[in-house]
Amino acid sequence: MSHIPASVGRWAALREDLGKIPAFFRRDLLILWSYRTAFFSDWINMLVQVMVFYFLSNIVPSNRLPEYGGQPTSYIEFVTVAIALTAFVSISLSRVTSAVSTEQNQGTLEALLMTPTASSTIQLGWVMYDLLYVPFRTAVFLVLMRVVLGVTLSPAGILPTVVMFLPFIPFVWGIGLMSAAAILTFRRGQGLVGIWAVLLTLTSGAYFPTRYFPGWLQTIAELNPMTRVLNGAREALLGHPDWSLVWSAVPPLLPLAAVTITLGALAFRLALTRERRRGTLGLY
Amino acid sequence: MADVLIRSPEQDSAHQRPVAAEAQDVVRHFGATRALDGVSLQVREGEIHALLGPNGAGKTTLLRSFTGLVQPSGGTIRLRGIPSEELGYRGYRKLFGFVPSGDRSFYLRISGLENLVFFGRLYGLRKPRAFARAWECLRAVGLEEAARTWVGLYSHGMQKRLSVARGLLSDPVVLFVDEATHDLDPEGARRVQDLVADAASRGTAVVWATQRLDEIRGFADRVTVLDRGAVRFVGTVPQLMAISEVRRYVLHLDGGTSAGATLMLAANDVLRPMATVSLVDDSQGRNCLMDLEDGAVLGDAISALTAAGIRVLACREDRSGIETAFLNLTKKTDQEV
Repeated sequence: MSHIPASVGRWAALREDLGKIPAFFRRDLLILWSYRTAFFSDWINMLVQVMVFYFLSNIVPSNRLPEYGGQPTSYIEFVTVAIALTAFVSISLSRVTSAVSTEQNQGTLEALLMTPTASSTIQLGWVMYDLLYVPFRTAVFLVLMRVVLGVTLSPAGILPTVVMFLPFIPFVWGIGLMSAAAILTFRRGQGLVGIWAVLLTLTSGAYFPTRYFPGWLQTIAELNPMTRVLNGAREALLGHPDWSLVWSAVPPLLPLAAVTITLGALAFRLALTRERRRGTLGLY
Repeated sequence: MADVLIRSPEQDSAHQRPVAAEAQDVVRHFGATRALDGVSLQVREGEIHALLGPNGAGKTTLLRSFTGLVQPSGGTIRLRGIPSEELGYRGYRKLFGFVPSGDRSFYLRISGLENLVFFGRLYGLRKPRAFARAWECLRAVGLEEAARTWVGLYSHGMQKRLSVARGLLSDPVVLFVDEATHDLDPEGARRVQDLVADAASRGTAVVWATQRLDEIRGFADRVTVLDRGAVRFVGTVPQLMAISEVRRYVLHLDGGTSAGATLMLAANDVLRPMATVSLVDDSQGRNCLMDLEDGAVLGDAISALTAAGIRVLACREDRSGIETAFLNLTKKTDQEV
């Protein structure tokens, strides 16, 4: 009777679920493309941001900024790397949580959870579009900075930066899942995401060198994993691209990323179980 | 409170078919409220099983327990005779389809076709197969013309048909339908019923939750009446009707020149002591409600009226047999009220 493949083993199930991920990408692309104004306004926002930082760079003297590879740095170069990284953090964080609240509001969360799809696959599906879109957006942004404002980044620093960046993805995703679990449980809490994004960005020295922070904020900045990635990326792209940067930046991030993604997945699973137990999954 | 009435399944034509879905002693609490109180239900392949009950009877909770959206506090749920825990998360969900009561279960900014393809892929169909199956289902529910239209632009009826199409995407063993016709016009409701009946004719077991009594006659093979979380009746529609005794009728009388209060007075004189009549508020003064006393027979009452020169032009049950049975089964006692 059924068109659906019969019960499968663990690996086959994993393969089957991975095959579902492109369906999420296609769905999100079609939905986002249906909001063309919002789609293009993101790019316009990016241009406005570039202009604001360009004018700021004209009034911030280079001697107030750290040197990379023994060379003075302009403010626009200093923030270019930060803008790319913070865009990833804010877009990724907001997308995980907005996916949950949107699915809840439009009633599709229950429909999703009634399909033979693991909740971890659904979680991955929710961010798949951004995992592909954000690097593309970043690449366009960097090209724009190069062509319009003459910001020169070392091509040899791109690969070490990407490698440093990789463990940061599960870290951000884990925080997103924890926020999503909070939204599933309390129905509200998108503000939490904003707080996370601002805390991570501000305390990482994205827009101001951390040496100008008060002492207590410098301590927080040192604990912030984004600071580590950001400093490493700046060193690689603006100074001397060196794989030793990777070896010093990545190992401390790995356990943190593992703990955060595990806690996030666990929190989300617990939130789902709680909703099923209470019978309130469809309420919003 | 009425006793539980369970009619033997041996009287049904479908009783030899394998059981597709089964709930056994399912209990579900919401705080102090017992939403399901030891509910048992068996649905066989190809059977349309109506789950009938007033608001708050526990119909939706039972369906949500079947679909894994609500965790029962106790009892067992089986599909194809296998407990849900043994089937596993994926295995269990591959066996059923669901048609929710509301419209809010689709992505409104993408087309009906894309919605079905998306859900088809989540059921494990590869892209070409998902497209082919989506088209098959859209054709089956008569939506091929609107396949590429955003779901947000669909009417209620179209969204409901799309819901049925999604429910049938995986060609499920059992289809759970939750109040699918409550907000549809009669034509739309009939269309959804036909689609579901067609699926049942191909072997899909259907659990059809409703509080609309009129739609189960000639449609459902068996009925379970739920009330306040407990099963009050299990049997066929004729069996449900058989437990009711209609005692109230609407009559349209022709009393010659007399009408209104005069006609009622004359009719009551003739019918005493087997029945009483009372005027129904209308412009003609010739429609009335007749209540038969215990032991009285409808034919005798009509004969008496005719013999007295009062012609009975029309006679119908004030409530249908199903409605009377339903109200008897679900009525509250004085203490419960």
